[in-house]
Amino acid sequence: MEPAIRTEGLTKRYGSTLALDGLDLSVGEGEVYGYLGPNGSGKTTTIRLLLGLHRPSSGRAELFGVDAWSEPVTAHRRVAYVAGEPFLWPALTGAETFEFLARIHGGTDVAYRTELIERFALDAGKKVRALSKGNRQKVQLIAALASRAELLMLDEPTSGLDPLMEVVFRAAVQEAKERGQTIFLSSHILSEVEALCDRVGILREGRLIDEGTLQQLRHLSAQTIDVTFVGEPPRLDRLSGVSVSNGGANSLHFEVTGSVAPLIEALAGHPVVALSSREPSLEEIFLHHYDGSDGHGGG
Amino acid sequence: MAMAAASAGAERRGIAAIVRRAFADGHIRTYSFALLFFITTYANVVAYRSAYPALSDRLALARSLGTNDAVRLFYGKPYDLLTVGGYAAWRIGGVLTLLAAVWGLLAAIRAMRTEEDAGRAELVLAGIVARRNVYLAALAAILAGIALLWLAGFLGLAVAKLPVGGSAYMALAVVSVAAVFVGVGALASQLAPSRRFAIELSTAALIVSFLARVVADTTTSFEWLRWVTPLGWAEELRPFTGARPWVLLLPVAVSVALIVVAGRIALRRDIDTGLLPTRDDAPPNPRLLGSPLAQTLRGERASFAIWLLSSGFFAFVVGAISTSIASAGLSGALQRQVKHDAGVSIVTPVGYMSLTFIFFVVVLSLFACAQVSAARNAEMDQQLETLFALPIGRIGWLAGRLALAAAAAAAIGLFAGLCAWAGAVSQNAGVSLPQMLGAGANCLPVALLFLGLGTLAYAIVPRASSGIAYGLVMVAFLWQLFGGALSAPRWLIEVTPFQHVGLVPAQAFRAGDAAAMVAIGVAAALAALWTFRRRDLIGP
Repeated sequence: MEPAIRTEGLTKRYGSTLALDGLDLSVGEGEVYGYLGPNGSGKTTTIRLLLGLHRPSSGRAELFGVDAWSEPVTAHRRVAYVAGEPFLWPALTGAETFEFLARIHGGTDVAYRTELIERFALDAGKKVRALSKGNRQKVQLIAALASRAELLMLDEPTSGLDPLMEVVFRAAVQEAKERGQTIFLSSHILSEVEALCDRVGILREGRLIDEGTLQQLRHLSAQTIDVTFVGEPPRLDRLSGVSVSNGGANSLHFEVTGSVAPLIEALAGHPVVALSSREPSLEEIFLHHYDGSDGHGGG
Repeated sequence: MAMAAASAGAERRGIAAIVRRAFADGHIRTYSFALLFFITTYANVVAYRSAYPALSDRLALARSLGTNDAVRLFYGKPYDLLTVGGYAAWRIGGVLTLLAAVWGLLAAIRAMRTEEDAGRAELVLAGIVARRNVYLAALAAILAGIALLWLAGFLGLAVAKLPVGGSAYMALAVVSVAAVFVGVGALASQLAPSRRFAIELSTAALIVSFLARVVADTTTSFEWLRWVTPLGWAEELRPFTGARPWVLLLPVAVSVALIVVAGRIALRRDIDTGLLPTRDDAPPNPRLLGSPLAQTLRGERASFAIWLLSSGFFAFVVGAISTSIASAGLSGALQRQVKHDAGVSIVTPVGYMSLTFIFFVVVLSLFACAQVSAARNAEMDQQLETLFALPIGRIGWLAGRLALAAAAAAAIGLFAGLCAWAGAVSQNAGVSLPQMLGAGANCLPVALLFLGLGTLAYAIVPRASSGIAYGLVMVAFLWQLFGGALSAPRWLIEVTPFQHVGLVPAQAFRAGDAAAMVAIGVAAALAALWTFRRRDLIGP
């Protein structure tokens, strides 16, 4: 089976700026892929290349095995896109925008659309020019979700949405996932990606510096372990892959990279009262990658 | 106290920053117009001196052109064609005042409505500068632009060795029109809720002003109309022909009044709204949503109607006055002179209308530019990003737009022909409908040429394409008007497409030239399609 998205050495230069540097990406059908990176890291560039809106400087991008640049129309039959900036057509109402986009796309699930309009609490009779940014974003989202396209390409889809609508959005993405739709979610809202995505790619200055399931990413990053002892804590600062700091009265705070076995062994001979271990959040993984000179994977 | 003084200083710096920003936003347009002002004034004066060196030459010119209504329609009423200054005032004034008007309304709308549409005005008003001062700062930047235009016009005349005082005064007469239309643009920016609507409103005002000037200058019973249009006031200032500076009170008073009224509204209304009501809720109307092309037509239909109706109205007026030209009993010498200059006999309604229809060639060319500009704006507003993420091919989209633009241009041309015929027939002129439809259709090849070239510019340099398209038409038309007077080599004069239009129906349709222009236009359009498919889409 062809992956929904595949890129090979996808590179884009704008003048002297290298916006995307040799991206190799593969997103399988039915997968929810979180595409993470700070502003200006190349997320939107990637999406524009995937949609054939910009031309690759080198390398190629495919959607369902169809080249995104040379055959965009064929590729787009199976795609729905939510742009980062919801401009749309100011003179059309929300309902007219749905109608227009549906006719161009060649069909939509009208019943589901009606339901989504209700759930997102959108006034579809208002002209787009009179809508706030969040409401214009809803128009785009509803149109994309209701198209039931096999691949949803979402570029920071929740920017401008309030927390209530964020909940509605997550539920709708979950439904799409259950229907087997593939979702490419570009975002810098880590909790959103953590909640929705099967697999995550982290982009930094145009390069994919890390990729994998959350489990895999966590594995590579430090685990946090807090240990409380009876009385004075022992000195445990010579273990490889473990950094220690004072964790308060009678406590130590460990950051462990790789296996925890050496630490457990070292602790065995000491009077431990309490031990808690916590996996790193995506936020910690993310910050770890962007933490200045700490070049895991290089930048 | 100290804090108040510090914050006043901060606001002054803020105001200065706004003035600089507002000027910089429009600087390319302003410098282009200034350059045009300089070249037009300088070239005409020099050309007149070399073409009509002796009094006898000038007398012949005055006898022939000075009493000719068709020529008055283009340039206005001449007061003295025997002196260099008098000639300059007539020949240059008529064209430059129109350009000044266009500059004025675009500058005002740019500074006042576009800023708001783009959401930048909010940012500025959220700062420490008071609303009133933001408005005044925008005006100050516009005033600097007017000063620049004045300087360019003045230098053009003075460098061509016209008296310094008279040159300064004539340049002032020209920019007085810009000031009034700054007021018009400012008011339209307050009335209309969008940039586009503001431009349409103020353009309508300009068309009415121009029409009033044309009627005043070509009839005897409606000469008073000159006093109701800013373009007429510029004539009545009579530079070089017995200056009447007190007439300046009119443009000054009217522009100040318009600016004050617009300012009052600007201080009171909510930002992002206009005084005219807008309907933001509407029951869904599913018509013209079936394809991108249909949706383009839906978006542009109001604008198409305006082009169609205003062209039709103007054509009707031309038709209706064509018989009074014919019956004016012009001298044989004059007839020969015009026939020599334009190659057409003007003393028949057919001849007059044929000559006048060159205007519709310009109108259709400008319409083509407007279509290029609309495509560019769709891309700048990121509508194309949404559209081309759908199963829509770029080539099909652009080709569809081109076909729509060409069809609409044809419709406007034919409708102008129809209306001119109706106007002429209402005065019992012996003109047939097919003749006038032919005159309308004859306008199309040049428009298609500019449509193709403008679209090519859009495909290669989308951001600049609107300016390039309008610039091409403007330069070509000015070259048509003035190139001949410069005694430039024949081939150089013939570069402008307007030279290649047969004055149908008085002259034969120049099929070879028309075919060549259409072929170039089509070739440019094909190159545009090829290029457009291969470039990155741009953002705002």
